[in-house]
Amino acid sequence: MIRYLIKNNFKLMFRNKWIIAVLVLAPVLVIAILSSAFFDLMKSYEEVDVFKAGYRIEEGSGFDVGIEAVKEAGKEGGITLLEYPEGEPEEIIKNNGLAGFVEFGQDNYTVYKSADFKMEGIMLEYFLSRIMKGYVDNGLYAKMQETERIELPVEKPEYMPAVDSADYYGIVYIVYFAWCGIICAANVLSSEKKYGIERRFQVTGVSSFKMYLSKWIPVVFVVSVGLAFTTVLTILLFDIHWGNAFISALLLLLTIMASSAFSLMLYYISRNIAITIIAVFTSVWFMGFFGGSFETYMYSVWSEQVKRLSPIYHADRALVEISCMGKSTYTQSCIIYMLVIVVICSVIAVTADGIRKRGRA
Amino acid sequence: MEEIILKTTDLTKKYQSRAVVDNLNIEIKKGEIFGLLGPNGAGKSTTLNMICSIVRPTAGAIELFGKNPWKQKKEVLHKLGYIPQELAIHGSLKAWENVELFTSLYGIKGTALREAVEESLEYVGLLERKQELAKNFSGGMKRRLNIACAIGHKPDLLIFDEPTVGIDPQSRNFILEKIKESNRNGATVIYTSHYMEEVEAICTRIAIMDNGKVIACGTSDELKRLVTNGSEEITLEEVFLTLTGKKLRDYAE
Repeated sequence: MIRYLIKNNFKLMFRNKWIIAVLVLAPVLVIAILSSAFFDLMKSYEEVDVFKAGYRIEEGSGFDVGIEAVKEAGKEGGITLLEYPEGEPEEIIKNNGLAGFVEFGQDNYTVYKSADFKMEGIMLEYFLSRIMKGYVDNGLYAKMQETERIELPVEKPEYMPAVDSADYYGIVYIVYFAWCGIICAANVLSSEKKYGIERRFQVTGVSSFKMYLSKWIPVVFVVSVGLAFTTVLTILLFDIHWGNAFISALLLLLTIMASSAFSLMLYYISRNIAITIIAVFTSVWFMGFFGGSFETYMYSVWSEQVKRLSPIYHADRALVEISCMGKSTYTQSCIIYMLVIVVICSVIAVTADGIRKRGRA
Repeated sequence: MEEIILKTTDLTKKYQSRAVVDNLNIEIKKGEIFGLLGPNGAGKSTTLNMICSIVRPTAGAIELFGKNPWKQKKEVLHKLGYIPQELAIHGSLKAWENVELFTSLYGIKGTALREAVEESLEYVGLLERKQELAKNFSGGMKRRLNIACAIGHKPDLLIFDEPTVGIDPQSRNFILEKIKESNRNGATVIYTSHYMEEVEAICTRIAIMDNGKVIACGTSDELKRLVTNGSEEITLEEVFLTLTGKKLRDYAE
């Protein structure tokens, strides 16, 4: 029954050529600007090869037991950790040409960074945050108190993907604009309300779920087609590498499905397309802010817990790592996160519509 | 005994404490063209919205085709064609696509759908313009397309909410003729308008509403007799003004 509704919603969205053009071309423009602006900066990430850092462990510190494992992991990641039991960290860095210095306390640590090795300092800090996360996630901190030697869950130094600015921004801005896809449906949603078409639909007795599907499916399709064009265009223009095309396409499709469900949920709650677009763009900005759309997620100062709240972070991270390393530990979490968003947002949207009809009704 | 198509019993709709429709009792028989008249804010559109299950009544009951439309929604609504006051069509869709869209929602598909769309467009005189975008149509053509979108599933009850607003006399005449033709073909019609001469020309029975209540109901002649006792010639508009008063109404429904 809703086949024709879906078909005509496709037509309505595709006939809004300006919006489609914005959806296709805006990412190209943003990718061109950002990849060029951050080219040198991201190149310097790649150029950092091996560097040295000092450390000191306070007497009786819990880190004492695990330090050999940390040094081993550091070596695999290109960081040589050297012990300096005495002296001021600033002096040690200066006198020994170190990139940084780590002071391990009883249950905390402090990182000192050299102004001459900014990038190495960021990498040292990031390395330690990943190591600490490994400790916490695997309950190793508690074990350190009991055993003499522990092994860190770091097999290979995969925490720092070598990605250039074109690949990074070429991927994350496709993801970012996928979250803004609701603009394709703006004219359909606004005219349905403005011209009383919604009420006419109500008189047909079509269920809220079918009405929701008749919008969600075309939005997903139109945004997917639009961004597929963008992706091909950016590959041709900027030579962007997506790694495993099948997995990347799947993750991108799931992202579009989730973003469409999320945006439609906001519409069904607010019943106002202007409010919906403002709310979507604001939430996407925050998700992007923590998810690596502006500052690269690898060097972001935000804690991993905060970043993980953002669905954009999961998609960005999985796609960037697939692009430069061929696989990602975030693929699974990205798939699960997006599917959960689709289900929860769809249920809320349909419920909100039902409540509104009963309330009006 | 004549079949009752619509029956409302003490139908009431309140917004906050204001009763927009207040204990409304009407009965519409099969084959009637029932006119609903009233000044702005009288409760006509709210009444129609309740009949069409768009707005749930605060109190009272509606029986459509002997059934409760809130309990047997689809079954009842599929016998109903609603032509709203607004031009509820997509300007960026072609005439054919608009009619196809709305007709398909009543479960019609394939060849039957194509035939239904063609018949509806032919009925309102737009078949030759079927491939044109609705936004390029004149006001009268849009009104006709608005009607075509509601008749494809061949409803037994047609509800027209001011279908002739803002159009030229030719289009108005065309629409009125089509309403009469639909009625001759077996459809029962509920019709609201502010144009008294239209209502007088096509309606078999007229109810005048004010402040949410039916203050008079009958044929055009019965209503005139109510005011003049048959002693003098009077128009329906004069009856309307006598019954509802001359004070301006600035309510929004």
